[in-house]
Parts: sequence; structure tokens; C-alpha cells
Amino acid sequence: MEKELSVLVIHDIKNSLALLEADLEQLNHRPDMPEEAHKAYQRCIELKNRLISFLTLYKHEQGRLKPNLAEIELSEFLEDMIAGSQSVTMAGKHGHAIEVTVDEGRIRIAPGVKHKGIATLDEYLLDLALESALNNAVRYAASKVDIWFEQDADSVTFFVQDDGPGLNTSETQADKPSSTGVGLSLCNAVTEAHGGGTVSLSNAAEGGALFMMGFRLVG
Amino acid sequence: MEKKPDAKSMADVIGGKKESFESEYIRFDALSALVIDDIGAMRHALRSQLQWMGMNRIKCVADAEEALDQIENNTYDLILCDYNLNKATSGQHFLEHLRHEHLLSAKTIFVMVTAEAEYAFVANAVEFAPDDYILKPCPEKKLRARLERQFDRRNFLLPALTAMDEKNYLQVVSECDRLMAMVDNERWLLAALRLKAEALLALNDTTDLLKTYEQALAIRDNVPWVKMGIARARMLLNEPEEAEKMTREIIADNPNYVAAYELLAEIRKSQNDEEAAHELMAQSAKILPTAKRFRSTAESAFLLGKLDEAKTLSESAIRMSSGSMTERPDDYLSLAQIQTDLGDHQAAIQTLEKSARKFEEKGSFGIAKNAILAQAYADAGDTAAAKKLLERSQRLMTSESGSTALNALGKAAFKVGDPILGLKMLTQAVQSSGEERERIARHVTKSMQDTGQQDKIDEVIDAGQKRILVLVEGAKKSMHVAQFEEAYSKVLEALEIQQDNIEALLAAAQLHLLWLKQEGMNEDVKERAKAYLATLDKLVPHNEKVMGFYRFYNQLTGE
Repeated sequence: MEKELSVLVIHDIKNSLALLEADLEQLNHRPDMPEEAHKAYQRCIELKNRLISFLTLYKHEQGRLKPNLAEIELSEFLEDMIAGSQSVTMAGKHGHAIEVTVDEGRIRIAPGVKHKGIATLDEYLLDLALESALNNAVRYAASKVDIWFEQDADSVTFFVQDDGPGLNTSETQADKPSSTGVGLSLCNAVTEAHGGGTVSLSNAAEGGALFMMGFRLVG
Repeated sequence: MEKKPDAKSMADVIGGKKESFESEYIRFDALSALVIDDIGAMRHALRSQLQWMGMNRIKCVADAEEALDQIENNTYDLILCDYNLNKATSGQHFLEHLRHEHLLSAKTIFVMVTAEAEYAFVANAVEFAPDDYILKPCPEKKLRARLERQFDRRNFLLPALTAMDEKNYLQVVSECDRLMAMVDNERWLLAALRLKAEALLALNDTTDLLKTYEQALAIRDNVPWVKMGIARARMLLNEPEEAEKMTREIIADNPNYVAAYELLAEIRKSQNDEEAAHELMAQSAKILPTAKRFRSTAESAFLLGKLDEAKTLSESAIRMSSGSMTERPDDYLSLAQIQTDLGDHQAAIQTLEKSARKFEEKGSFGIAKNAILAQAYADAGDTAAAKKLLERSQRLMTSESGSTALNALGKAAFKVGDPILGLKMLTQAVQSSGEERERIARHVTKSMQDTGQQDKIDEVIDAGQKRILVLVEGAKKSMHVAQFEEAYSKVLEALEIQQDNIEALLAAAQLHLLWLKQEGMNEDVKERAKAYLATLDKLVPHNEKVMGFYRFYNQLTGE
């Protein structure tokens, strides 16, 4: 009974948040929109993302996170993800515009790959994981964030790199509360649900932080 | 091979100016949309999002019935449909209904909107998948990016889609060929191949159909619809073993792809392995339970004499469709028949009483309802009541009465002790079964077995058919020697035995076309030719022969 009740309550909260978000989105399209409305919209999105992340993690802990696999055209997917990303939209509205692009120059597809640029993954979970990585990157980026992927015969790895101060600097620790913990756990859950892989956050050689999420692909 | 233009000139060809997806490319202001959502606030939110993109012809409705009304009377470029329409009808049921009834224009983009990530499971398991699905809440920018992709593809295919809507399948094929020569993008190539295959299927052009799917297979070897297409083409070419091999491959790769189980069931059925077909259908209903799947699985269980299983499945079908647009009076009739056969007369009577509160007692439903009641009372030993109900059932009969109703009536007649009426009704049931002949024949066979009439089964199933074949053959001979009046009278006689016999109707259409060709334009003959073609088009849509006749007719009449 208790479990049923909490399922109902969470479902209700999720739906109410969705409606609240829709209302705030409307408000944000008004030309005379006050700064408070913008903040409220942003908070609402963050809250929703946190709830979804926790629910996903909970599901994973229960062993119930099962990917719904379908073919994904990776470049298109990344372009759409950036185009629709709320983190990117919000970063843009903060005054200092951050350019987020698919770095085609860094996309690498190994010669042995049968279906080039296509992978069978759960689009929703992948979007969830990358959005959380992107959200983190735009928070620390100075001016730009690059996204790309590398594909081998039995794996595909996604990269998100920002031009911010990198990890473990005074700036990252002092100024902005980090959500990386939950973000990385979420990404780990998503790769594990797909059968395993690696997730890491490190300093890039060129400076800035580099996020990597690799999926082992079977078949 | 022709040299392919690069991406940029490709975009020019299809009327746009840009390479990927910036706003001016898709003219959202020229597009119309239908939003279906039962929650007012969600409708409002989706409408605003579409308006921000520039759309201004947006209609919002709250339920499937209203949506159906809109779709029947308008053509929309985009349909955004909520997955949880209400307790009884899901957006997926609605979509399957639309596709099944051919209510959607080929140009319409159908996008499912859902709050549940689990919908992906459904979308990846069925053949009637939407063009795309989005998870709500979906911010405008994301929705826009997804829609732009969809409209990009649609604009590329537009000439072929237009021809598809006009049912000009030859044109679809040639347009697809032309478009494919212009692009390298795999996704677009696949979309064009898929459309081309659909047109070839409508034309019954099996050789090119297989070739087209094999072309798609060469591009992607792990897309379920491509393999399904190959399996279907193999079935049409009468290669069930090859078809099965391909279907097994799909299931091995995608254990939840229910359409593959259903196709495999069809293959088994064609090999008269009803038992295996039933097992497969039960499996598909388990993976993705819908009223329709329960309904057909219940039927196969019933025909196999697995009455307890049939009862459970039939009850599930009723439970799942109750209060929705997929609710069928036939479900109650099937359940009542099963209950009667199980000897539970009281339950059967209750089921029928319940159905009477929901559906009006008329037409085939009325006939069958009273006939099954008559059976229940006869089995319970109340012959007088049974006789009255049988008479009541008979009084509702018209020349249009459905085969299923006639079957119930025939079975009731045997039980009440009127074998002459029983034989007559069952014979008529088979004769008026048209395209459903095999299915009805199985039901009639069961009715006769249940009532101890095994020795007359052949007589009933074959009655009329042989006579029709003789008449059609005769008509063909006459028409080929230009004895049109005589041919016509033979065809009419055949159609009198069975008004929707396809062979007889085909002969009738052909006869009238030859008549027009050889003896010149005659308004009566022309009108009749047109009427026969219209009947055929309704009974066997997309039939190659009928399409050929239509083209012939158009050439002859200049229409």
C-alpha cells in the first residue's frame, strides 16, 4: 500500500511540475517578462530534472531500468539535443552567451564499423545523461562547449568539453554548488542499464573539463 | 549510375535554400495542426508552442471521438496526440485505428506525446508506430527540432506522398525512384524505399516489392520493418519457409517486436497449423496486450475448442475496450457464445443482457444476440423460449445480414431442432462471407461439429461456390467471343448466389470494360462498369487487377 501511494504521489508531482513548467514557459515568451519569471522557470526545470534523475537512479537501484533500444543517427541526435537543450537555452539567457556545437572535426568513426554513425541505444536515457553533462558544462564554460562522439566496432563514446576552469579549482568549488555527483551517478546508471561502459570527468589537455561516457555495444 | 548532386543543391531541388534546419526552411506558418490531449492545460501549452513556431491553423480537441471527426473532415499536416487519451483509449489504439481505416493522409505527420518513457517500448514493438514520439514536458525548442526533422523528410518525399494520397501508385513508384537518385542520406533513402514498397504492395507487384526491400536491407540490415517487408513479399511469392526464416531473425534480434509474432502466426495459419498460430498470437498479446490482440487470440482459442482459455481472453478484450472507441458489440457475442458452449447458460444470458444495455438490438447484432440466447435456452432445456428467440432472430434478418450472425442463427436452429433452417443459414453464412470466407468457414465447421452435423460440412462449405465458379467460367467464355448479354446474365446469376463474390465481380467488371471497348460508349454499360469497380475497390482495396481495370476504364471513358 505504501509503495502504491508513493508511486501515485510521485506521478502526481511529475505531472504538476510538467504543467507548472508549461505555464512558466508561456510566461517566458511574453515580451514584458520580469527577471523573476525567468528565474522561476529555471528553478522549475532544475527541479524537474532533479526529480527525473532521482527517479531514474531509484529505478536503476531496483534493477528496473531497462533500455528501450532503437537505432539512433548520432550526429542528428546530438544536433537535436543541443537545439532542444534547456541548459543551453538557460545559459544563453544568463547574459553571457555560450556557444554549444557538435564538433564535427573530432567525430571519429573506426573503419570497421558496419553502420557508420548509427548506434542502437535508448534515446531517452541517452538524452537524459547527456543533458545532465551538458548542464554541468554550460555552468562552468567561459564561452563554448563542444560535443562529439567516437565510434568503434563494439563501442560508442560521447564527449562533452567546456572551456571553463577545469576540475578542482577554487572557482568551481567555491562559487557554484556542484550537481556533478548526481549527474555522474545518473550517467553511470544509464550506461549500466545498457550493459556497461565507462563514465569519467577529467581535465582536458587544452584546459576546461572533459566529460566522457562510453557504451559497450553488443552485436 | 547518375551523379548525385551534393547536399546543398539537393536542398535547392526540394524547394528550400539551406543545408540543415534553420527556421526559414520549414514554413511553419503554412502548416496546420491537430492537438489531441485530455488535459486542458496541456492542450494550451502545446498550442502555444506551435504558435511560437509560427503555426496559426491549430485545432485542439480533448478526446479521440472529436479528433476522429476532425480527421475525417480535414487534412492536417501535423497531429500531436497524447498517449493517455483516457482510461480506455490510448493514443496508440487511436493511431492503429486511423492507419487501419486509411484515414490519415500520407502527408500527415503523426507525433505521439507521452509522459511515460515506457512508451518507447510500445513504439519499438509495433508496426504501426507514429512518425515520432516526444516525452512531455517537451520545451518548444526541442519540439521544434524534432518537427523540423519530420517536415524535412516529408518535404523531400512530397511529390511521392501526394501521389500516394491520390492512390496513383505507379506515380509513387516513379517519384520515389527519381527522388532516390538525388540523395545520399541513408535515412531519406530508406524513407523513399519504404514508401515505394508500400505502393508496390498496393499494386500487387511482388517481384519489384522484394527487390525494393532487398535494396533497403543492403543499406540497413537490422531494421525490423525492412525484414518484415521481405517476409511479407516472400509470403506473397508463396515462399513460406523463406518468410519464416526472415521472421525468426526479426524475433531473435527484437524479442518484443509483436508484429513479427503476428506475421509468423499468419504463416502458420497458411500452413493450416492453427495450434501454432494460436500460440504465437497468445505470445503477442502477452508482450503488448490490446483489446484487438485479445480478441483475435480468443477467437483462435475458441476455434481450437479451448473454451476456458477463450473465455479468459474474451473477457480481457471486453475489459480493455470497455468505454473506448475500440469497444465492439461482437466481443459480447463471442463471450456469450463461449459461455453457452461451456454450458454456463446463466452467464451467457447475463453477458447478453449487459450487451443489450450498451448496443441497440438491430442488424447483425440483434440477430446474433437472439440466436445465442436461443442456444442458451435450448441447452438449458427451455425449448419454447428458445423457439421464440429463434423466430425473433429470424425476423431481424435482411439481405445484408453478416456471416457471423447467420452462423449463430444456424447453430441455434440445429439446437432448437430445425436442421433445414440450420443448413440454410450456415450455407448462406459461407456464401456471403466474401473476403472472410476462410474464417467464416472455420466458424461454420465448428458450429456443425458442435451440433452433430459433421457429415454435411463439405456440402455446406462448398455449396454455391462450385456453381459460382461454373457460372464465372461460362461468363468468361461468352465475353471472349463478344456475347456480352449472355455473359452478363451468367455473372448476374453468380452474384445472386453471392453478391460479393470477388471472382464474379471481377468477371463483371472485365465484361463491361470489354463491352465498352468493342461496342462503343453506352451510358448504361458505363455506369454498371463504374459501379462494379467501386464495389471491388471497397471489397479489395489496392487490388492490382482492380487498379488495372480502373486505368482501362479511364482510358476508355477519358475520365
